Amino acid sequence: MATRIRRSAVPVVALSPTILIVLFAYVGTMGWTVWMSFTGSRLLPVNTFVGTEQYQRLFGDPRWLVSVQNMALFGVLFIGFCLVLGFLLAVAIDQRVRGEDGLRTIFLYPHAMSFIVTGLVWQWMMNPTLGIQEAVQSMGWASFRFDWVVRRDMALYAVVIAGVWQSAGLVMALMLAGLRGVDEELWKAARVDGIPTWRVYVSIVLPLLKPMIITSVVLLSIAVVKVYDLVVALTNGGPGTSTAVPAKYVMDYLFERQNIGLAAAASTVLLVTVLCVLAPWIYAEYFRKERGGA
Amino acid sequence: MTTIDTISPATLDRAATHRGARPRRLTAGRVGLYAFLALSAAFFLLPLYIMIVTSLKTMDEVRLANIFAWPADPGFQAWVAAWSTACTGLDCSGIQVGFLNSVKILVPSVIASIALGSVTGYALSLWRVRGANVLFVVLLLGAFIPYQVFIYPLVRIFSTLGIYGSLPGIVLVHVIFGLPVMTLLFRNFYAGLPPELFKAARIDGGGFWRIFAHVMLPMSTPMLVVAVILQVTGIWNDFILGLVFAGRENLPMTVQLNNIVNAAQGEKLHNVNMAATILTALVPLVVYLLSGRWFVRGIAAGSVKG
Amino acid sequence: MSCAILSGAVLSGASAQEPLRAEVMHWWTSGGEAAGVRVFADAYEKAGGTWVDAAIGGGQNARAAAINRIVGGNPPTSSQFNTGRQFDDLVGQGLLVDLDAVAAEQKWRDVIPAPIVQAASREGKFYAVPVNIHGHNWMFYNTETFQKAGISEAPKTFDAFFADMDKLKAAGVTPIAWGGQPWQEALVFDAVLLGQGGKDLFYKVYRDKDEAAIKSEAFQRVAATFHRMRDYIDAGAPGRNWNDATSMVITGQAGIQIMGDWAKGDFIAAGKTPGKEAGCALVPGEAGYLMGGDVFVFPKIGGGAATEAQTLLAKTLLDPATQIAFNEKKGSIPVRTDVDVSSMDACARRGAELVKDPANQIPSVNFHVSADTVGALQDTITSYFNDPSATAEDFAADFASVMTAAR
Repeated sequence: MATRIRRSAVPVVALSPTILIVLFAYVGTMGWTVWMSFTGSRLLPVNTFVGTEQYQRLFGDPRWLVSVQNMALFGVLFIGFCLVLGFLLAVAIDQRVRGEDGLRTIFLYPHAMSFIVTGLVWQWMMNPTLGIQEAVQSMGWASFRFDWVVRRDMALYAVVIAGVWQSAGLVMALMLAGLRGVDEELWKAARVDGIPTWRVYVSIVLPLLKPMIITSVVLLSIAVVKVYDLVVALTNGGPGTSTAVPAKYVMDYLFERQNIGLAAAASTVLLVTVLCVLAPWIYAEYFRKERGGA
Repeated sequence: MTTIDTISPATLDRAATHRGARPRRLTAGRVGLYAFLALSAAFFLLPLYIMIVTSLKTMDEVRLANIFAWPADPGFQAWVAAWSTACTGLDCSGIQVGFLNSVKILVPSVIASIALGSVTGYALSLWRVRGANVLFVVLLLGAFIPYQVFIYPLVRIFSTLGIYGSLPGIVLVHVIFGLPVMTLLFRNFYAGLPPELFKAARIDGGGFWRIFAHVMLPMSTPMLVVAVILQVTGIWNDFILGLVFAGRENLPMTVQLNNIVNAAQGEKLHNVNMAATILTALVPLVVYLLSGRWFVRGIAAGSVKG
Repeated sequence: MSCAILSGAVLSGASAQEPLRAEVMHWWTSGGEAAGVRVFADAYEKAGGTWVDAAIGGGQNARAAAINRIVGGNPPTSSQFNTGRQFDDLVGQGLLVDLDAVAAEQKWRDVIPAPIVQAASREGKFYAVPVNIHGHNWMFYNTETFQKAGISEAPKTFDAFFADMDKLKAAGVTPIAWGGQPWQEALVFDAVLLGQGGKDLFYKVYRDKDEAAIKSEAFQRVAATFHRMRDYIDAGAPGRNWNDATSMVITGQAGIQIMGDWAKGDFIAAGKTPGKEAGCALVPGEAGYLMGGDVFVFPKIGGGAATEAQTLLAKTLLDPATQIAFNEKKGSIPVRTDVDVSSMDACARRGAELVKDPANQIPSVNFHVSADTVGALQDTITSYFNDPSATAEDFAADFASVMTAAR
């Protein structure tokens, strides 16, 4: 009965802008990008089918391979450090410390800023001739080095540091919310049994925080796949191609290098990667439970 | 139901902890704890400190390469220069142009995206619409997919519509890419309300828009606040969409900042660059400091957006 | 019907009264460049137009923005590209105005060097206005710094070059002011390829895309010479803008910069006279003048006043007096060989003298391959240069695979 009452044309009308956006701006553009990746489009889209030629060129391009490797390494380190630091900060703040509000504000404020801002500040601090390195050396520690942005082997870690600085607070905020939700009785019971606090955190609290951890990982993963502004502002992909990332590869070939077909192939690879990672998660979250009636 | 809404606002707002009173005595463990917190705070504050002191220095002092030092004669010349005279090409009117552009982009984008997101969330959560699930999943996926997949076709579509590189164009782009998060936010909120509320309104004969305007919207204040915070910071901090879609006359502040820093003539004016950087960060920072816990709520509720 | 015609007439009548408005997109943002663009702007306003400046820092950003707008149907009146094949597809897709009528009227073909005419034309028609010739294989040095290091004149061979770099190092200055961005590294590589490899190898590599030549020992020697420059740069090089590198030479922090002659504009802006305080010489080998330059293209914009504005701008850019004044500021040489360059600086006169002989006119990489190949080459060159342990042989193989893919 109720469902029959609820069926009406008005909601569909109300949803029409969203439906149009989903059809054209999401599904349509995605399809077009995938199609272009099989064409020989250069400056402008054309419909000459070239098969998998663009993909062959893509995976034969050392810069693309470096970009993918960098994204993977950056992803692992960035997510790992954010989780560890964020968790530790949350636990530390949870110990009834003085100035809790102030500390929370300090740990989270970078997250309010643009990646462009973060990139520029860290570029300035890691400037080898005027930045931290020079200042520390002139204080007497002559062998001190903090010039990662200009070192081919270290530049990616510089990007990781800036990224962690920006995003660790996010994990802290989420974890802290989780810690505050842990049942009082659990702590009492642990105290009665004489279990050391650190063990309670590791073997009991951490598993309870699983939803927070998953949310954090999802949020950080999105940032990893999308990483572009940070690299543009911090290293612009250099030195050499040592901090190249897929998003920048796409942008370069889309606009400056006038090879839309190749850029579309690279975008499609990104798209497929994201879909593969997300499909099980979306399925589990939005379909299985609903069918199960939860 | 979703991972994201498992963190209820109530949990986040719970200020008191259950760990008992603050210990009175300072043990070795407490000292270590405070040391860790102090070190961490230093790590997070250092860039802000360096931004501020560099911006207050003269170039002569910046050249001394003592990045930590407090300026001998602090002054706001660099701030004035960054705001009103910093150059990109022949145009030397500073970053204020970008500031105004960002405001012009921000206001309509925030209003339109929240309006559309709340209506969509409402329709998807409380009304039965054929294919609603598919619609929602595609929207959700849209939040995760890198912009690069959509950008070029959108450029072409916009140019056909004649809005490429214009203010309506960049606003529409922000509405399009803000839609998933906004929808998610409101859908989860309305789905979490007691179902009796909606049923009663239906029995009273309320239609789609009436119920939305008179029952749902008045209850949505917390979500509206969260949505405004999310959209203001997100749109203000955007770089790539502004770069591609805004057009030369509407370049937002972040793009202008990157141009100013990279288009230096002669010597790089690091003090001016840092002042411009702070100015660009100022709006979201103020929003953050004023909103306090609401900001965290926004993150938890929907920062699915990168 | 008559109403439409009437309103059309009124509209065009009204627009003819207004000054011709030209929105010009370019990436000339450094000291000398900005002064140069000011010359164009003034000349255009004197001719009765209104110049709307649309500078976007960095060639890559500016070209991307221009292409976006042209493709997006909101084109600027005119937009800058490098002389070469960057705008091929814009012509191919029919997005640019054919300038042959103006070119014939103003006899461009008679006064502009043949390779440049070719680079500005497609199928025999002009689609771009070349405005200057840039030399890409210059070395600029601070004569005072050279004297301090005991160097009397610019090196003529690469052996002498590296010996001089050692002297500079011993004198406590950074020998080479290096701009660590991919396009700058590629530019230095090309200069070394021409200087050490010679004209024939240069043509075989870029024009003929000859795999054997790229894998040859001669090419690998060039690569090794290029890589050896790593020993003479400072730690701050990666990511550095070219004008920041130039400023290192001006202030005496560094000895020499290998760069296009646009760097000269910044020397002039800093009060250093080219040929005196600011020394200039071609990269050792002196195998010719590696030519690049800038052109302006005119997107199809819909007739009327907008088209008039384009025609007026095209004529203004190539006006002989404007050519001299612009190129003096910009650091390049006039694209017309019929103008009197005696008022220009010593380095420009040297360049203009060289270019008079067609044998010295060496078109740069942009004339030979498309933008995406240029980009892929830059990736290859920058990864090679920035990797201390990379070998010339691997580099040659990577380089060859990019060039053969472009055939």
